[in-house]
Amino acid sequence: MRFSIPRYWRERHSHYRLYAKKCLKCGRINYPPSNICRYCGSNELEDYYLENEKAKVISWTIIYPAPEGFEEQRPRIIAMLETLETKTHIIAPLTDILPEEIKEGMIVEPVLRRIKEDREAGLIHYAIAYRPVIGSIGTKEQ
Amino acid sequence: MRPDPSVGIIGWGSYIPRWRLSLSEIARLWGFAPETPRGLNVIEKAVAGRDEDAVTMGWEAARNALLRAGIDPKEIGAVWFGTESKPYAVKPSATIIAEALGITPDTMATDLEFACRAGSEALRISIGAVASGLVKYALVIGSDTAQANPGDVLEFTASSAATALITGPAREAAAVFEASYTYVTDTPDFWRRAHQPYPLHGEGFTGEPAYFHHIINAVKGLLEQTGLRVSDFDYAVFHQPNGKFPLAVAKRLGFPKEKVLPGLVTPYIGNSYNSSALIGLSRVLDIAKPGQRILLAPFGSGAGSDAYSIVVTDKIIERQDKAPKVDDYINRKCMIDYATYAKFRGIITRIR
Repeated sequence: MRFSIPRYWRERHSHYRLYAKKCLKCGRINYPPSNICRYCGSNELEDYYLENEKAKVISWTIIYPAPEGFEEQRPRIIAMLETLETKTHIIAPLTDILPEEIKEGMIVEPVLRRIKEDREAGLIHYAIAYRPVIGSIGTKEQ
Repeated sequence: MRPDPSVGIIGWGSYIPRWRLSLSEIARLWGFAPETPRGLNVIEKAVAGRDEDAVTMGWEAARNALLRAGIDPKEIGAVWFGTESKPYAVKPSATIIAEALGITPDTMATDLEFACRAGSEALRISIGAVASGLVKYALVIGSDTAQANPGDVLEFTASSAATALITGPAREAAAVFEASYTYVTDTPDFWRRAHQPYPLHGEGFTGEPAYFHHIINAVKGLLEQTGLRVSDFDYAVFHQPNGKFPLAVAKRLGFPKEKVLPGLVTPYIGNSYNSSALIGLSRVLDIAKPGQRILLAPFGSGAGSDAYSIVVTDKIIERQDKAPKVDDYINRKCMIDYATYAKFRGIITRIR
């Protein structure tokens, strides 16, 4: 087993639902979640999930030398995103998109995907990736 | 099997992957007659990407159903997942989706298997569970990344898609189940043994003794039980393993083509197995008007068929635009070649 099973289980809400903390004092979203607000130092925070927020692409990188375990997803596209409502910054994979289709400012939305798997017999790691909102990209010949 | 108009569809939603493989590409590679795709009345099939499976597709269909239902996920008391392409042989898919949608832990959850009609069996069970008061809402999902032996005739149509329905009290529903009826027998038309990657099918059993016999008897049973006539229905949605069978079964039952075409999705995306008939229903619900009556008749090999009479309520209008429609997904497509399809679906595998 190459995966840490306890870690996968412990982080499932971060991976499935983009679990974060909202500061009750300054209103900022702490993502990844933190028990102390990294913006104002308050320790009054509540659970918050970014799973329904669309985001815009700020920047991205196309990784051709894929790390071990990601060879079948080559090239891998990782983007810096800003969510539309809470302006939270997230780094996440882009999916359902060809490298030449990516544009700065394009609107993407979170979807649950298979991020990696522990060889043939181990756990499958599901987590949020982002893809262009439905309707924003039409028919394309590859 | 008695009519129960106290239960209806609160929300519905579907998902189709972006990637499409032309059937003529399959015919070219495997040396089939070039007119084979036309004979099936299917142009291209939807292919799940490398990072997709029945769970991820079912999750998105369910999210769309939740958007339309407008309910708190915590109010869902059952998550029933119908598939024949479970990512895990043992470890429920239903709990992954329930956790990822914030439905856990106070819910039932399980996977069901009955070839292409496990999702429909889940739907019938959910009607009973809601009618009895066991649960307020149930989430029913049919999702498949259908497998086919490369070069087998099944490969032309075996595709990927998902559909989810949230059932609940009729007073909140966008469409109400007026009646439902099920017809099953032991029929050797299609199967996949344990540890086998691809299914086999019994020559000569696919059409007449399986598909046509079961659907016709389920629909006749429904009509006899309710006293409804074919002319009482505005739409008819059948299981659609190809683009020809649904039109043929409709003709034999007396439904005109015009009532079948709005729910006929297979010509554009192929046969999505547990989502096959349900995505047809989903597409009809996307455009249906209050007061219209829909016949739904899924089928699964092995074999069995369910027939439902569904009446649309005035609540449907406000929900139709709350999530992407089936046609939005049909139009979101990128053509791929056979090699890419083979990589995406694990037909080419690497040593890991």
